[in-house]
Formats: sequence, structure tokens, C-alpha cells
Amino acid sequence: MATPSFAAGAYASIQGMGAGGLMRKPSTLTTASDAGPDFSSLVGKALEATADVGRKSDSQTANVVSGRSDIVDVVTAVAESEAAIETLVAVRDRVIAAYEEIMRMPV
Amino acid sequence: MDLFKSIAVAASGLRSQSGRMRVIAENLANADSGPDRAGAEPYRRKIPTFQRHVDRELDAQVVDLGRVQRDQTPFRTKFDPGHPAANAAGQVQMPNVNSLVETMDMREAQRSYEANLNLISSTRRMIQRTIDILRT
Repeated sequence: MATPSFAAGAYASIQGMGAGGLMRKPSTLTTASDAGPDFSSLVGKALEATADVGRKSDSQTANVVSGRSDIVDVVTAVAESEAAIETLVAVRDRVIAAYEEIMRMPV
Repeated sequence: MDLFKSIAVAASGLRSQSGRMRVIAENLANADSGPDRAGAEPYRRKIPTFQRHVDRELDAQVVDLGRVQRDQTPFRTKFDPGHPAANAAGQVQMPNVNSLVETMDMREAQRSYEANLNLISSTRRMIQRTIDILRT
């Protein structure tokens, strides 16, 4: 995951904003996006996958209510979407914690 | 992921056991479904069979309820001369369903269902504990 380089890049760009934009944008940001996959696209992909699993469990629930599907299918679909959402939330929390850790760094 | 696969396999077990339960319910409900006229057959007991097959998507062996077969053992007879389906000797053929056997089959289906449920909840706990590593 490109998390540490992203955090470093974000830190550097915010530092640049603090200087009133007079400072040249650090080159770390561009190298960070060149090196690996874009962090925002990574988050976007993870969100997309989680939303997809959530939609599947929703449609299974609707099927059961209308009597077209088995309750077992709902249980498995909901378990899968729950795990996906929890993974996403845990990763998000870790990324934000890492970012805050860097933000607290005395300069 | 293997853990999700095992949930799906256990779910196939749940599905087939609930199908078996349906067949047992049919047998028990029809335990007294005798013939309605002379020469007609009473209800014949159904036997559920299980079919294993490889799920290509999961890459694992899952179970399905196979063809429901008929029990070929002879029917019970009951002496009831007034019955419309009684023969010359006053005997009426009754279904070959033994409610004791059905009750035992029901218990077996129940236990197997519970085993699969336990597998699902254990697997979910394993997934949960793995995600919890990220949080600490």
C-alpha cells in the first residue's frame, strides 16, 4: 500500500500551503503518485467493492422478503458484506491514525 | 478467500438439510393419507438423497439435495371394513410412514443443521478476529 508515501506527500504539500503557496511544491508529491497506485483510486476501489457486496446483501434481503430466495443466502451475503465493511473501516482508521501521527510531528 | 468459501460450503449444507426437513415434514403430515377409493395407493414415504458436486466458482465440494426417492417397503394395512377403499377382507392400505423413524430422521437433520451453523459462526469469529488485528 502507498500509505506512508502518501502521508509524506500530503504532509509536504500542506507544508507548502502553510508558506502561502510561495514555496515551490515539493517534488515528493509527484514521485509518490508516480511510484505506486494513487491512494484515492485505492480508496475508491475499496469503497466500490464494499458497496458492491452491500448491494448484493440488500438485494438478497429483498428477495427473501418477497419469498423468492432462501434465508441462508441472506446470512452468507450479510456476513460477507459485514466483513468487507469492517475491513474497510479498520484500514481507514489505521490510515487516518498514521496521517495524524505525521501531523503531530514537531517541525 | 478460504474463510468465505467455507461459509458458502456450510450454507449449501444448511440448504440441503432444510430440504431434507421439508421431505420429513411431508412424510409426517401424510402419515395418515390413505387411499380415497378402492384400488388407489396410499401415500408412499419419500426418502431424501444428498448429492455432492464440485462448485467451479468456489473450487470446493458442496452438497445439494438430490432426487427424492420413494420408499419401496410394503404399506401398512388397517382393518376398517367401512372405509371406501377397503378390500373384500375389510383391509385398507395405509402409508408406509413410521412416525418414530421420521422423528429420528428429523433429529438427525436438526443436528446436522446445527453443526453447519456452528461452522458458520466459528468462521465468522475467525474473520472477525483477523480484522481486529488491524484495530489494535
